[in-house]
Amino acid sequence: MLIINCPYCGERDQSEFSNGGQAHVVRPSDPEKLNDKEWSEYVFVRSNPKGIFFERWVHSHGCRKWFNAVRNTSTDEIIKTYKLNEKPPILAEFTNNLKTPSGEPELGSGNFTVKK
Amino acid sequence: MSSINNTKSFHLISSQKVSFTFDGKKLTGFKGDTIASALLRNNINLVGRSFKYHRPRGIYSCGIEEPNALVQIISEHNEPNARATVKRIYDGMIVESQNRWPSLKMDIGAVNNLLSPIFSAGFYYKTFMGPKGFWKKVYEPIIRKTAGLGKPPKEFRSKSTHHHHNVDVVIVGGGISGLIAALKFVKTNYDVLIIEQDSFLGGILNTSKKIKEINGLDTIEWIKKTEELISKSKNIKILKDTTVSSYNYSNHLIALEDKAVGSLPPNYKPELVLHKIRTQHTILANGYIERILSFRNNDLPGVMLAGSFEKFVHRYGVVPETNPIIFTNNSSTFSLLKSLIELNCKPSAYVDNREENSIEKSTLDYLKNNNIPFYTGAEVEGCDGRNIIREAFIRHKGNIIKLKTNMLCVSGGINPDVNLFTQSKGLIKWDDNLFTFKPDKAFQNTIVIGSASGNFNFQKLNDEIKNKLNFLKEVNDTKIEIISNVENDYKISEIWDIKPEKESLWSKSFIDIQNDVTVKDLRQAITEGFDRIEHLKRFTTNSMGTDQGKISSINSLGIVSKILNKSVSEVGTTIYRPPYAPLSFSAIAGRNTYEFYDPKRKTPIHSWHIDNNAVFEDVGQWKRPWYFKNKKGETMHQAVQRESKQLRESAGILDGSTLGKIEVKGKDALEFMNLMYTNAFTKMKPMTSRYVLMLGEDGMIKDDGIVSKINDQHFIATTTTGGAPKVLADMEEYAQTEWPHLEVYMNSITEQFSTFNISGPKSRAIMRKVFSNIDFSNEKFPFMTFNNFKYLDTEVRIMRASFTGELGYEIYISPKYALELWKKIFHSGKNLGLVPYGTETMHLLRAEKGYIVVGQDTDGTVTPIDLNLNWMIGKNKKDFIGKRSLSRSDTAREDRKQLVGILPLDKNKKILEGQHILEINKLPKKIETPIEYLGHVTSSYHSPNLKHFVAMALVKGGNKLMGKKVYVSDPSKSETIPVEIVNPVFLDPENKRLLS
Ligand SMILES: [Zn+2]
Repeated sequence: MLIINCPYCGERDQSEFSNGGQAHVVRPSDPEKLNDKEWSEYVFVRSNPKGIFFERWVHSHGCRKWFNAVRNTSTDEIIKTYKLNEKPPILAEFTNNLKTPSGEPELGSGNFTVKK
Repeated sequence: MSSINNTKSFHLISSQKVSFTFDGKKLTGFKGDTIASALLRNNINLVGRSFKYHRPRGIYSCGIEEPNALVQIISEHNEPNARATVKRIYDGMIVESQNRWPSLKMDIGAVNNLLSPIFSAGFYYKTFMGPKGFWKKVYEPIIRKTAGLGKPPKEFRSKSTHHHHNVDVVIVGGGISGLIAALKFVKTNYDVLIIEQDSFLGGILNTSKKIKEINGLDTIEWIKKTEELISKSKNIKILKDTTVSSYNYSNHLIALEDKAVGSLPPNYKPELVLHKIRTQHTILANGYIERILSFRNNDLPGVMLAGSFEKFVHRYGVVPETNPIIFTNNSSTFSLLKSLIELNCKPSAYVDNREENSIEKSTLDYLKNNNIPFYTGAEVEGCDGRNIIREAFIRHKGNIIKLKTNMLCVSGGINPDVNLFTQSKGLIKWDDNLFTFKPDKAFQNTIVIGSASGNFNFQKLNDEIKNKLNFLKEVNDTKIEIISNVENDYKISEIWDIKPEKESLWSKSFIDIQNDVTVKDLRQAITEGFDRIEHLKRFTTNSMGTDQGKISSINSLGIVSKILNKSVSEVGTTIYRPPYAPLSFSAIAGRNTYEFYDPKRKTPIHSWHIDNNAVFEDVGQWKRPWYFKNKKGETMHQAVQRESKQLRESAGILDGSTLGKIEVKGKDALEFMNLMYTNAFTKMKPMTSRYVLMLGEDGMIKDDGIVSKINDQHFIATTTTGGAPKVLADMEEYAQTEWPHLEVYMNSITEQFSTFNISGPKSRAIMRKVFSNIDFSNEKFPFMTFNNFKYLDTEVRIMRASFTGELGYEIYISPKYALELWKKIFHSGKNLGLVPYGTETMHLLRAEKGYIVVGQDTDGTVTPIDLNLNWMIGKNKKDFIGKRSLSRSDTAREDRKQLVGILPLDKNKKILEGQHILEINKLPKKIETPIEYLGHVTSSYHSPNLKHFVAMALVKGGNKLMGKKVYVSDPSKSETIPVEIVNPVFLDPENKRLLS
C-alpha cells in the first residue's frame, strides 16, 4: 500500500485515491480536424513504460482534486506529485536514480532468472 | 514412546492444569501448552492424515512452520487448519484431527497410498482430462470429498479490528538479536515497535540452551531485565503474540495479533487485531528455520526436527521422548544433545553425516564421555513403523544398522528466515559454506540482523548490530558479553536426499510433507521438462501448502540442483509471497463486514413500500421496489402484468428517489453541458427539460437521463441510479483536467430530493386533486417543461416527463416531506385506480415503447446511431465528448449491430433475453462448425396490453432488415422461434398517449 502526497491535502493512504492513467495527454482542441488515425491515438493509445511514468491521480475519497504524479512503474515508488497547472518535471531528473526490486533488469521481464 | 516433564523449564506451569479433548478423548495439559506440547505430554503423536495419500502424520515441528499437525478446533467457529504447534489449549477446548474417515487410526483414504502411481507429479493435470462429463459427475465430487484439509466455518461474524501505526523503526522478532537492537533505541527519539510472535521475548534463549550467560546474568534473568528497560522507555512499544505476515512496498508491514491466546475467543471484544504499520526503517531479526532431510518414510509420526524437539524441552517443559536417535549434518544439534544429557536422558544414537575430522572436538568428546553410540560419516537411510516410528536404519561404512526407537530427531541445517526480506523485494544470495540463501541487497530501508542475516555466531552479534545501525544518529552504544554453551562456529555438510535401501509402494521420501510431494515426484517432473523452479513448483505442488514449504523449500532446490547438475544459485528460488503465515479472512475484513462493508441505501418511502408488500431489488446499494405483491400467492409475473395493465388503463406511481441528480452551476454552465452531453442546450428554453445522452470519448453510450435548464448558468441533470457517482466524477474530471478555463461547479443532490413518477391516463386528474392550485392543462403545462410551486412551507418541482409513454409527471420534493406527499397522492389517486409499481413494470412499459435502458440494451459497444437516436445528437455543436468518434470508419459502418424490435410470428411464443438471432430455423443436432448469428435479444417482456411478447435486439445491419423473417434460439430445444424484425416502438408510435 503506497503513500501518496496529495498536493492539496498532504500524505494519504493509497486507498483514498484513484488512478487516471497517463498524464499530459491533451484533449485535441478541434477533434473534427483530426483524421481517424490521429483521433484514435488520442482515444485509445497510451504508453506503458517500465520505469519513470507521468500519470494522473484523483483524491477521490478526499478533496476530489486531480493532480499529476511521477511513478517508477518497476517499483511503484511515487517520486513526485504536482498540481495540474504546474510545469511537469523533466524526465532526466529521475532516470539516474532508477532502481528495480531484487536487482532485476531495468527493461524486459521482471524475472531475471528467466532472462538467462 | 514415553515423554517426561522438564521440571527445570522456566515456562512449565505445572500448578495450573488445563483439560481439553482430542478426537473425543479427554486429556490434561498445563497452562501455556500448545495443543502439540499437551499431546506429546500425553504420549500422543499421531495427529492427522496427509493430504493426498492419507498417511499417518505426527508433530513435526514446534512452531509456525508445522506442515503436519493441522487440526480443527470445534469449540471456536469450527476453525480449520489450526497449527497444533501454535494454538494454545484452554479449559474445555475441543480439538479434532482432520482428513480422516472413519477414524484417525483406521483411515479408508489410506488406500490412496497404494494407488500412488496415479497420484504422481502433475496428477491433477493428467488424470482428470476425460472423458467428457466425468469431471462434473465423477472426479470433482470424489476430489471434494477426500482432498483438502479441514472444513470451513459456517455462520461467522468477525469481531477483529485494524490498528494503524506510524513509527520510525520496526523490529521484527524479539529474540536475542531483536532485544540487542532494541537496547540501542532505549530513551532515544526514535519511535520503535517490537513485534514478537511468541508470548515471551527472548526467542532462542527460551527454546534452547545454546547460550549460558549474557552480561553475567542467567539468560532468563537477562531477558527480564532487558524487557524492563525497554518497557520503561516511552518511545518503544512491544507487541507480543503478533506475527508479521507481509512486508510491502514503502516499508508497509501487516502484522496479526492474536488477542485470545490460550483462551476461548471472547464474544464481546476482538479476538484478532490486524496491525497496519508504516515505518522508516525495518529491522528484521526474525531468526532462522530448521530444515528437514529426505529419507525413506521421513514423514512417520515420531520423526521430528531436532531444534523443535529442543524447543519442546525448554519452551514447553516436555521431553517428547527420553531416548531419541539424533540425525544431523551440522553443529546445531549439539545443544539438543547437551540438553538431554543434562536432564539425564540419553539419546540412543547420534548419527552425523559429517566425517569425524570435520566434527567439532567438543562434540566428539561429549559423545564419548557420555557413552552415547555415535556414527560419523553416516546417514539414516529410512525408517519403518505403523502409525509411529519403530525402527531406524543407519547406513554406516557400507553397512545397514537397524535400531529400535520411538523417536528420530532430524536436522538438515538451518536457513535464515528470508521470507519477509524477499517479500520486501530484497535480493538473496546462495552461501556455499552454509548451504543456504542469505539476505544480500536490500531494496527498501531494511536491515537484517542475527541469524536472519546468516550470522550464526553469537560472539559476533553485538558488533554486527552495531555496524548495521551506526548510520542512525544518536543510538545507544551497548555492551553485550555472551558466554555460549556451544561452539561459536556453525558447520554443515551438504546432503539433501538419501538413497533408499529398499523400494516398495509404502516407502516414500518426502520433500513437501504437507502436500505429499516426494523426491521421486521432483525427478519425474524434471524428466517431463519442468526444469524451471517456478514451473516445477506448480507441476508438483511442492511448497504450495499452508506452511509454504518453510522446512523444505531449500531442500528441493538442493535436490533439483543435483539432478540438473547446476549450482543452486543457477536454479534460483521461487518467489516468497505474503502472507508469511496463514491469515484469517476475518482479520482482513475487520469491522468491514455486512452493513459496514456495503451499506443499504433506502428511500424516504421505504417504510411504506414494506407496509405494502414490496419485493425489493438491489440497484447499486439502493433497495428499490421490484414489484408489489397485491395478495398472498401472487407471483412476480402476475404482479407485473397487473401493475402494467392498470397503469395504462388508469395510473401508476413509482418511487424514483434513487435516480442520480446533479446540480451544475456557474458562468459557463451552458458551454460545459454542451460539451458533456450529445444534446444541444443553447436554444433550449429556460424551465424546459430534455432526454439526454452522455458518451465516452469512444462514442459509446455511458449514461442517459433528463437535463432541466433553469437558465444558462443553472442546470439539473438526472442520471441512472447506478451511474450517478461515475457521471459526477466524469464531470469533475473534465472540468478540472480539460476545461479548467470554464467557470462551472457541480454537486450531487441525489439525496436532497425525493422523486416520484406518476403516469397513466388518469395522472392529470390525480395531480389536480393533490395540487389544486396548479394548472396542469396541456397549454399551461406542456410535455418536457417544469416549474417550482409552493407546497406547505416548502417547494416542489414538478416536471412533465414520462418513462412509460403515458401522460406523466415527475415530482421533486425535500425528503422531509416526501412520505407525507406520497401518502397524499396515494389517497387522492385511490378512487382513480392509482397503482404503485416497481422497476420490473417500469422496464416492461418502456420496452413496449421501445425506450432503452442503459446497461441492458447497451453494453459499452453501442452508439446513439446504433439505437437510431440521431435526433439527440447536436450535430451543429463544434465538439462534445465522443463526437469525433461517431464519424470514425468503424463507428459509421452501416452493418453495425442496430436496435430493432422482435415480434414472434406465433403470438403465443415466448422469447428469452440473451438469446441469439439466427437465420436458420433449426439447429443441427451436433454443432460442428460455428453458426453465424445476427445478434442477440437485449430485452423481452410479455406485454399484458398487447397480449404477446415484445422484444428488442441488437442485430447486424438491423435497420435494413425491417420486415425480414429471422429466428430466435430457445435454450431448451434445437427448434428456433420464427420472428419478424420490426420497429421497436410497439405501442402508440404516434405518441398520442404521451402528449395527451
Ligand atoms: Zn487531496
